[in-house]
Amino acid sequence: MKPLGYYLVLAGIVWAQSTCRQIVPICREKYMEDFSWDGRYWKAELYNGETTEIYYTFFRGLRYRLIPCGRSTTQAFPHLRIYNANRALVLDTRQQGDRSYWDLELSNTQLLIIELYYPTGEGCAALLIGHRSGETPEGWSAR
Amino acid sequence: MTVRYMVFAARNVKKLFRKVAVLSVLFLWSCRSGETHTGEDRHAADTVYVLPWEQLEVYMNAAPSPVQVATWLRQERVPFYKDMLHDPTLAGRYSGLQGAANLGIYLTDMAYAHATNHYQEAYEYLSAVNRLATLYGLGDIFSLERIKSLDKLQDNPDSMQKLLTQYYSEVQTRLSETGQQPMLRHMILGGWTESLHIILALLEKNASNQPLAEMILLQKGLTPLLIKLYSADTSLSPVSHQIVTQLEDMQEELNALPIGEGSPVPSTQVNKGVIQMKFQQKTSLTPEQIKRLKERLTSLRHFIMKV
Repeated sequence: MKPLGYYLVLAGIVWAQSTCRQIVPICREKYMEDFSWDGRYWKAELYNGETTEIYYTFFRGLRYRLIPCGRSTTQAFPHLRIYNANRALVLDTRQQGDRSYWDLELSNTQLLIIELYYPTGEGCAALLIGHRSGETPEGWSAR
Repeated sequence: MTVRYMVFAARNVKKLFRKVAVLSVLFLWSCRSGETHTGEDRHAADTVYVLPWEQLEVYMNAAPSPVQVATWLRQERVPFYKDMLHDPTLAGRYSGLQGAANLGIYLTDMAYAHATNHYQEAYEYLSAVNRLATLYGLGDIFSLERIKSLDKLQDNPDSMQKLLTQYYSEVQTRLSETGQQPMLRHMILGGWTESLHIILALLEKNASNQPLAEMILLQKGLTPLLIKLYSADTSLSPVSHQIVTQLEDMQEELNALPIGEGSPVPSTQVNKGVIQMKFQQKTSLTPEQIKRLKERLTSLRHFIMKV
C-alpha cells in the first residue's frame, strides 16, 4: 500500500502535464491561422524567474508566426527575448507590449535564440512557430 | 526501454526522477557492459538506455525541418539535380537507427523534388519514405490515400507544402509519443545532413549564390548543437561516438570559414506586431571552401547511407 503523499504527487504531475499540453492545441487553433505549423513546440514550467531557450533557424523570404502561449499565476503574458547566434540581444517583446502572437521577417537566413519568460508570476509557457511564404519587405534587396 | 523526462509541476519531484533515471542508466549500462559491437550491429537500435530528452529536445529542434528547407529552396528558385540525391531503391535495405536516419534523408529528397516541381521523382522518394515509415509505425502517415491527395495538388504547391508540413509534424509527434526519440534524433540528423548536402551540391554548381552560402555559414552555430545532441551518449553508443567525431570534423572546417562582412546585429523594426530584422552581413564562399566542406559532409552522409 502506497502512502497518500505518493498519490497526491502523482496527481500533481498528471495535472501539470495535462495543463501544459492542453494549451498548445488551443493556441494553435486560435492564432496559427494560415501559417504552416511543423509540429514542433516548446513548453516548460517556469518558476522563480526561470526562462527556457529555443534555438531555431529562420529563413529569409518566409514569414514566421511566433505564438508565446500560456498565462502566469499573475495573469502575465509570456514574452520573448530574441538573440542572434552570438547571443547579442536583438529584441525583447516586453518593450512592445502584450500580444498573443508576433510575426517575424528577416532579410537574411539566421539561427536565432529565443528566450521564453514570464515578466511576473510563474506557470506553464509554450511557444509555437509557424511559417508561410512571405514577401520581400520594401527596401530589402531581392537577390 | 526508454524513459522520457516530462515537465513536472514540482521541482523536487523532477530532481527525484532525475536520480532514478541516472540510477537506471548505470544499471542498464552495467547490463550492457559485457556486450561487444560488431560491424553488423553498428546501427542496431540503441534504445536500451536513458537519454535526458528534456535537455536534448532543445537541440533537437534547432535544425530546420526538411519541409522548411524545401519551402526556402522553392523561394530561391533552385534547379533540380537528381544525380546528387540518395538512391530510393535502397530503402528496403535499412532498418533500426540507420533506417530512421535514411528516412530523414528520403524525406528531404522528396521535399526538394516537390519544391522544384519534379513530381515523378518526388513520388519515387515518397515510396521509399513509405517503406521505411512502416518500420516505425508511421505507415498510415504516408499511406496510398495520402499519396493520392498529394498527387491532386500538383498545381497548387502552397497547399502541397502545407500538407507535407502536416505529415512531417505527425511523424515527429508519433515518434515522440511512442518512445522512439532515438529514432527521431536520427531522422533529424539524416534530414540535416541531406539538406546540407543538397545546398553544397548546388553551391558547387554556382558558388556565387549568396543565400545558399549564408545557409552554410549558419551551420557554424548549428553544428555545435548537433554535437551536443549526440554527445549525451557517446560512452554508451558507438554510433553516437562516430557521429560526434564526424560532426567535429565538419565543425573544424566550418570554423575556418571567415565571418560574413558587416554587423551581425540587425536593425530591427516592430510595427503592429510584425518584427522585421534587417541584417547587413554579406557572405561568400570560394569553390575550394565548398569542396572541403563537402568532403567532410560526404564522410558523414556515407556513414549514414552505407548498406
